[in-house]
Amino acid sequence: MSLKDILTPFTAWSKVVKEPVTIKDPLNREAAPRYRGFHDNDIDTCIGCGTCEAICENEAIDLVPVDGIETKDGDSGLRPKIDYGRCCWCALCVDICTTNSLRLTNAYKWVDTDPDNFRFVPGVDEKDWYKREEGWRKPEPNYEFYGLKRVEMGELHPEEREDSFVEMIKGYSKEQAEAEADRCVECGICTATCPAHMGIPEYIKAIRNDDLEEGLRILYDTNPLPEICGRICTHKCETVCTIGHKGDPLSIRWLKRYIADQNPSEKYKKILETDILKKNGKKVAIIGSGPAGLSAAHYLVLLGYEVEIFEKLEKAGGMMRYGIPEYRLPYDQIDKDVNYILSLGVKIHYNVTVGKDITLKKLGEDFDAVFAGTGLHLGRSTRIEGTDHENVYQSIELLRKITQGEEIYVPEKIVVIGGGNVAMDITRSLARLQNQKYGKVQVIATSLETEEKMPADREEVIEAREEKAIVNPGWSPQRIEIVDGKIKGLHVVQCLSLFDETGNFNPQCNMENKNFFEADMIVESIGQGMDVSYISEDIKEHLELGPRGRFRVNDYFQTSLPWLFMGGDTIQGPDVIHGIANGHKAALGIDKFLIGE
Amino acid sequence: MKDLIEKLTEDFKISDVVYQRPDLAFVTVPKGVAISLVTELRDFEGFSHFVMMSCVDWIEEGKFQLLYLLHNPKTKTDVGVKTFIDRENAEMASAHHLWKQVWTYQRELKEAFGIDFPGSPRVDENFVVEGWTEMPHMRRDFNTKEYSQNTYFPRPGRETNDPAEYMRKKLYPNEPITAKKQDNDK
Amino acid sequence: MINKFLGFEPDKDKLPSLTAKIGDDIDLSSHKYQKIWLGPNHPGVTGNMAVELWVQGNTVVKAKTHVGYLHRGFEKLIERRLFVQGFPTSIRMCVAEPDTNEYLIATCTEQLSGYDKAVPEMAKWLRMLSLEMARLQGLLRGVPGQGGTFALGLGVQWGVYLRDLILDRFEELTGARVYHMYIIPGGVRGLLPDGFKERMEDNLRDIDDFIIRIRKLMFHNSVFKKRAKGLARITPDMVDKYGIVGTNARGCGVKRDVRKDHPYLHYDQLDFDPPTDTDGDIYARTWVRWQELIQTVDLIRQIMAKMPEKGDIKAEMPNVLHWKIPKGETYVRLESGRGEYGMYYVTDGSAKPRRVNLRGPSYTHAIALLEDMLVGADVADVHAIMVSLQTCPPEIER
Repeated sequence: MSLKDILTPFTAWSKVVKEPVTIKDPLNREAAPRYRGFHDNDIDTCIGCGTCEAICENEAIDLVPVDGIETKDGDSGLRPKIDYGRCCWCALCVDICTTNSLRLTNAYKWVDTDPDNFRFVPGVDEKDWYKREEGWRKPEPNYEFYGLKRVEMGELHPEEREDSFVEMIKGYSKEQAEAEADRCVECGICTATCPAHMGIPEYIKAIRNDDLEEGLRILYDTNPLPEICGRICTHKCETVCTIGHKGDPLSIRWLKRYIADQNPSEKYKKILETDILKKNGKKVAIIGSGPAGLSAAHYLVLLGYEVEIFEKLEKAGGMMRYGIPEYRLPYDQIDKDVNYILSLGVKIHYNVTVGKDITLKKLGEDFDAVFAGTGLHLGRSTRIEGTDHENVYQSIELLRKITQGEEIYVPEKIVVIGGGNVAMDITRSLARLQNQKYGKVQVIATSLETEEKMPADREEVIEAREEKAIVNPGWSPQRIEIVDGKIKGLHVVQCLSLFDETGNFNPQCNMENKNFFEADMIVESIGQGMDVSYISEDIKEHLELGPRGRFRVNDYFQTSLPWLFMGGDTIQGPDVIHGIANGHKAALGIDKFLIGE
Repeated sequence: MKDLIEKLTEDFKISDVVYQRPDLAFVTVPKGVAISLVTELRDFEGFSHFVMMSCVDWIEEGKFQLLYLLHNPKTKTDVGVKTFIDRENAEMASAHHLWKQVWTYQRELKEAFGIDFPGSPRVDENFVVEGWTEMPHMRRDFNTKEYSQNTYFPRPGRETNDPAEYMRKKLYPNEPITAKKQDNDK
Repeated sequence: MINKFLGFEPDKDKLPSLTAKIGDDIDLSSHKYQKIWLGPNHPGVTGNMAVELWVQGNTVVKAKTHVGYLHRGFEKLIERRLFVQGFPTSIRMCVAEPDTNEYLIATCTEQLSGYDKAVPEMAKWLRMLSLEMARLQGLLRGVPGQGGTFALGLGVQWGVYLRDLILDRFEELTGARVYHMYIIPGGVRGLLPDGFKERMEDNLRDIDDFIIRIRKLMFHNSVFKKRAKGLARITPDMVDKYGIVGTNARGCGVKRDVRKDHPYLHYDQLDFDPPTDTDGDIYARTWVRWQELIQTVDLIRQIMAKMPEKGDIKAEMPNVLHWKIPKGETYVRLESGRGEYGMYYVTDGSAKPRRVNLRGPSYTHAIALLEDMLVGADVADVHAIMVSLQTCPPEIER
């Protein structure tokens, strides 16, 4: 201790002449740009998926309906409501927000005498901080709480597949499927959009838990054709997938296929507990073994009905077998799903045409109810000049013949008219056949719709081009050039628009811009119509018609004749998943009709 | 570290050695020799710094796992000595004579898990939850959420909707849906 | 000589002698003793903690620490939450340096799930920066705070102002002033904002000035010296006996620093040497902390100079909502401002941890050590001793 120790502390007095450091106006101090203050939500972008609620560690978020926001495909109509009595401002809700709509502003001052005001719906209840741009947003770069990139699906290279009908999509391995399933946030927005309302988050969870038997049970709750749907479903679910807002939507379709692929068919009955089924003594006839018919048969047999299917062709599956090429849906996979349904005790009569071999009236008398899932099997024609030539074909007819193994006419130059998935199917099938026969491809697919508006799935178009087929959309066919009884090609003009102001189909063309596609054969693929020849006139007069020339059915697909139910492409769709959903609902309707509630 | 544990394995019936990091190993020993091993490590192997004592409730197996974590300041390595004791009437020999702070841990474990350490000073005194009458609060079967719901009262007016369920009610109330909803992650 | 002149030397002979053997069972009904509760709310106590004192005259003859005033069962709450949800709760286990808790939770989960190698470089440097900033703001309060316990309030005012400037930097880096919630499993939650380094450098220059001033104010201060020197002495042989760590151990010459002994993050790339002293009393501990203040400022400068300009801030990891970690256990430690701060973390293969147990230095410092150290101390020195051990009650009761 020294004199220095007594005197040095007095140096602190030098601070007396310094400017004070106090903030002059502490009440209006602006927070930092990244500050985590009160919430704001862009309610137009938000889809109410509830992921913010799922990650909130304080249970501070509720999802509530909001006036003016409609519940629709891809939007639950709910919006998050924050309880500031519980919120800890961690901003995990912002970081995980699947649409990037939620954020925290840097407003931190708010005085109110009513505690209930501290519970509000950001973006809906008016607050003065919404105009602030500053505040917490999801950090950058590469800061994600779930995977944005889809797990790549292995497929055959174009060179490997262009001359063969071997299945081109390889399917996920266990690791791939689990990685893909991990990306799901379990919001369940997809379930509403799926026509069959499958338990999508539930079966994806089963994949994560590696409990594929449970996964199969969930699939069969709403869809008895998982192998088929896992390959060729139109996957409307993926178009609304929440993950798709920031990244690639989940591969829901491939995940379904993974579950079905991994479960061997001989174990199905044990897994699904369908070894012994009770019978209720009632009989139902089903016309057609397409998706709707098979689905109805499956659920009816589970409900205890005796089910008999009447199939016109020599094998079951309908359009799934005779309309979809083998490289997309191999026949053994159709057999796997179909054989399981048949193994439940469903009887099937092949090569029996209702209306010819047996009348619908007879079915109505012999059975307690009839379900007709007859599908759309009549090809439509453009009816332009020359379509009556023998080498102008309907795609649906050719596809059936390819499946049946019949030799079809494959010349060196082919033109396909149509821009839908069926057009792509026939284009790619013919390309394969040309490759097998000539070692080269010359198929042109043309459609009225422009590239952007083509109804075919995008990947179908890309893959067709990879297989060296030419897809040249935006042309309106005018006439087929025939010289000496032989087709020379197709004259087309540029198509400008398809619909007029009122929304009616009325193509407008630029007659100046002409083109000519050389061809030895023309295939028309512009849609199909239904064949109702199985319904005799005396029955038909009892059936009411609904919009677009379809028969009117109620919610349970019951026609105005109570014993006759109808579903599938003739009523909704056309696609497989609607058929399945219709069949399921109709089965419940038949049960309600015959047994009552 | 490996040599050390191999040397001690036979004498102290060490099993389940896990080398979590090059400088951290966990060993499991029978209840009876745990304190002897800890003493051996302290007195002869240089593990003079007592890092912590902890307990894990493996309720499914009916066991408590006690952990004595020791640090050797010279070699800069840690050994976690684990031992499993029965959950019923849980009791363990006291180690309060080895380090001055051990009795605090034992007092906490008595309160939080209900493990008795006979002879440990002030082991029966309350530590953090004075006047607690429920089961020991750190046991797995003590449900914090249920406790808070029974003890406190939430502000009324909170209700939430599951998006999928809400959409079903709004858009397709009568359609068949999947019957099987799996339990939440355990 | 000068002491005598100023009359600083108390003449203990004039005081009544103690009649009891210190620390014995005390019979309050004998009317020779008095019981005093210090806390739970007392300006000299950091956080809510009570010390029950038995005194005779001015002298403490027995002391008991009481904790639990801040207990909210954080460890239990974290057990009931997903791995990613743990960090907002964990920071409340030590308010003084919340970032340390975030770091421990993040590192434990990363080590057990095998993602520790995937943490990007940038994130590691930013983690170090936030940890050192946390240490700095702690020291800015702690060093002058020791003077405050001896009624030297001026330094505290200086320190708290500068601490607020560091909190400003925290605010712009992490989005919050105290509960930063910055380090998450896999990385951190933001890059440096534009101009951050310049503003930080401005603050560090102010702190440089403060360091010199506080030295003159406290360490060349006869009152402080008089009271702090020789008080509450820790000897090297006590270090292992009580589990003393950090600056409390370094104050008596036992050089233990997790940053050197078990280098984590990129501390092995920084140039520093943990300061020590030999006396082990309050003065020595505060002196070590003052040196550490210089060192921390230097470390922040080194980190800002060495860190990359750009980079990823978070590893690519599984979906946080379903993230499961295989069964395992680990212990991760770091050097907090108060010494070795660690976490024992057990997973059981599910989406939530099985057990989270924090090892805070105060657990030993403020109970076993403090209770023994207070015996024989003057009542007026009790909170000085408590503060000199850097007591932080929330980390005791969690």
